Amino acid sequence: MAVLEGAVVYSNLLVLLAIGLTITYITTGVPNFAQGSMAIFGSFVSLSLWLLFNIHPYYSLPVSFILGGGLGIAIYILVLKPMIKKEAMVVTLMIATLAVDLILLGVLGAYSDTLAELTGKGTKKFIFTPLDFKLAGLDAILVVSSAVIVFILFALFLLLYKTKFGIALRASMENPALAEIMGVNVEHTRLFSWFLSGSLAAVAGSLLPFRQEIVPATGAIIIVSIFAASIVGGLGSIYGALAGGYIIGMSESLITFYLSKAVGPSVLLYSKVVSLLVLIIALIVSPKGIAGLEIWRKRTWRRSTSS
Amino acid sequence: MAQEYLLLDIILWFSIYLIVALSLNIEYGYAGIPNFGRALAVLIGAIAVGGVVNRILIVLLGIEGGGLIETSGTLKSTVNAMIAQNPLLGLGILVLCLLIAALMGAVTGALFILPSAKLRQDYLAITLLAISEVLFLVSNYNTSIIGGYYGVSIPDVLAFVPGEKRFLAFALLGVGIALLVYLFVERLLTSPYGRLLKAMRENEDVVKAFGKNILVLRIKTVALGSAIAALAGAFYSLYSVNVIASTFFRVDWTFFPFLMLLLGGMGNNRGVALGVFSFVIVKVLLIVYKFEIKSTLHLPFEATWLEYILFGVLMLLILYYKPDGLIKEKPVTMTPPIKHALKQKAKETPGR
Repeated sequence: MAVLEGAVVYSNLLVLLAIGLTITYITTGVPNFAQGSMAIFGSFVSLSLWLLFNIHPYYSLPVSFILGGGLGIAIYILVLKPMIKKEAMVVTLMIATLAVDLILLGVLGAYSDTLAELTGKGTKKFIFTPLDFKLAGLDAILVVSSAVIVFILFALFLLLYKTKFGIALRASMENPALAEIMGVNVEHTRLFSWFLSGSLAAVAGSLLPFRQEIVPATGAIIIVSIFAASIVGGLGSIYGALAGGYIIGMSESLITFYLSKAVGPSVLLYSKVVSLLVLIIALIVSPKGIAGLEIWRKRTWRRSTSS
Repeated sequence: MAQEYLLLDIILWFSIYLIVALSLNIEYGYAGIPNFGRALAVLIGAIAVGGVVNRILIVLLGIEGGGLIETSGTLKSTVNAMIAQNPLLGLGILVLCLLIAALMGAVTGALFILPSAKLRQDYLAITLLAISEVLFLVSNYNTSIIGGYYGVSIPDVLAFVPGEKRFLAFALLGVGIALLVYLFVERLLTSPYGRLLKAMRENEDVVKAFGKNILVLRIKTVALGSAIAALAGAFYSLYSVNVIASTFFRVDWTFFPFLMLLLGGMGNNRGVALGVFSFVIVKVLLIVYKFEIKSTLHLPFEATWLEYILFGVLMLLILYYKPDGLIKEKPVTMTPPIKHALKQKAKETPGR
């Protein structure tokens, strides 16, 4: 039971990260290699609030949300937007996000050392599990992460389908050129997607230490699972990311757990191998992901505008 | 003495990184394959030395007692003593290491690129990065491959060289290997094969229309690139006389080679050499003066983090301001038959 709970928590967080990655991919066309480090940024926001002001990580979620969104917007405006204006190739933009990832790693590492010096506590590695408590017989993290998912999905649904901005947003995800002709400001949708991506990543990052130990370089490790989840989902739709997150999260935790029962605990180290295998199988079976055909239309559009 | 040490350090790192950057230049600079998993081939080179050659020697010499990590320690002292007596044995092991590394690199590279049959550029880059990252994690945690994060010892193939000259000898050896690789790559890429790669980078459909199989071309190219990168991993391991899986981190062996490539200028080897040289000077100076930087700037953190920030920002600046690099790629020089034909034509119509 505890294993299943852990798997659900992990999948919930993976869904948040995969939605973030997917939404920026849809609007900007760049797979963001810094998504993992953006999550760890959120972990450090929570850690700082806990160490410096004694605010419980659950209460710091709104702060993480806003600061993470700010980070997302900063990455877009400072790095990607100028390059997109110069009509850089997609690979160039990808390398740029790799560079952003490295800068974030450096900043987080430097910050982690500084924080350790300030508070006199070792923060090279940290974990929040001792801070967790029981809510109605379940681990609070299970309840909180599930509540966050439900809340975010509901809010996204309202925003996308019930507001005018949402219609504009969906239109410019579907076909940016046409949306622009119809008077939609595509720039706004891009900004919004980066805000959302950053904030969802930071929220996931704030909750991640309840499940695993965090070091500044953790982002480089979880990025494999995030990409696996997004690609299984097809990289083109938010629902795909939702399904992909649960598929990867569940298989990563459960398959390794049952294998370890059969083969021995040494298998537990190979959880990322499972997500890689699922990723490769998904690519072989259906290179377009769960979300199916829609992305092919976008591909042809991108090719014609980028050349 | 300190300055001599600094110079040798620069030469050594220049050689190692030049080999890796050239291999990436074949794949990304010429062929346009975004290999975000370069670190994997370098790691394979290290596995060839620490995991394969070590095991072969252990079996040949009949060393017993414990796992790979313990026996490698014994192996090192035994073989070092033998090499000190017989230099040829050391050189033989060196050649064996490089050959096995190249072979394993080529096979891994050929398998590694297979997903490209179905994937577009960005998907491909993600998949290659994921494969490389996962295999890095496996070899880091699983101590039975190359000792994982504990590492294994490697015999010193130049054990016959007296201690104070060892560094110099390795620097010269490194330059030698790098020079051979450079000449080989230069020659290869000015051949029709090199032009074919550039054609594939610019427009795959044209290459297809000329009856070339894109996937076969990609497999050949990545196998070749990976074999070359594996040489660098093997040489690095032989130099540091141990293999520690955690040193083959993505930043050092994928991101930095991309940085050097883009800094110097893709698609031309002189540019790449210049990029590697500039990068290595900054990098070595940063490593050597790490503690001075930390104390003079009163940094409350390790200077490594500063290095990451600095190189990340440098990469962004290059991408934005100088996407062509320091030396711009020249258009393909005309082949002798075309030049000849043009000359003929000029003779025939002198009036123009």
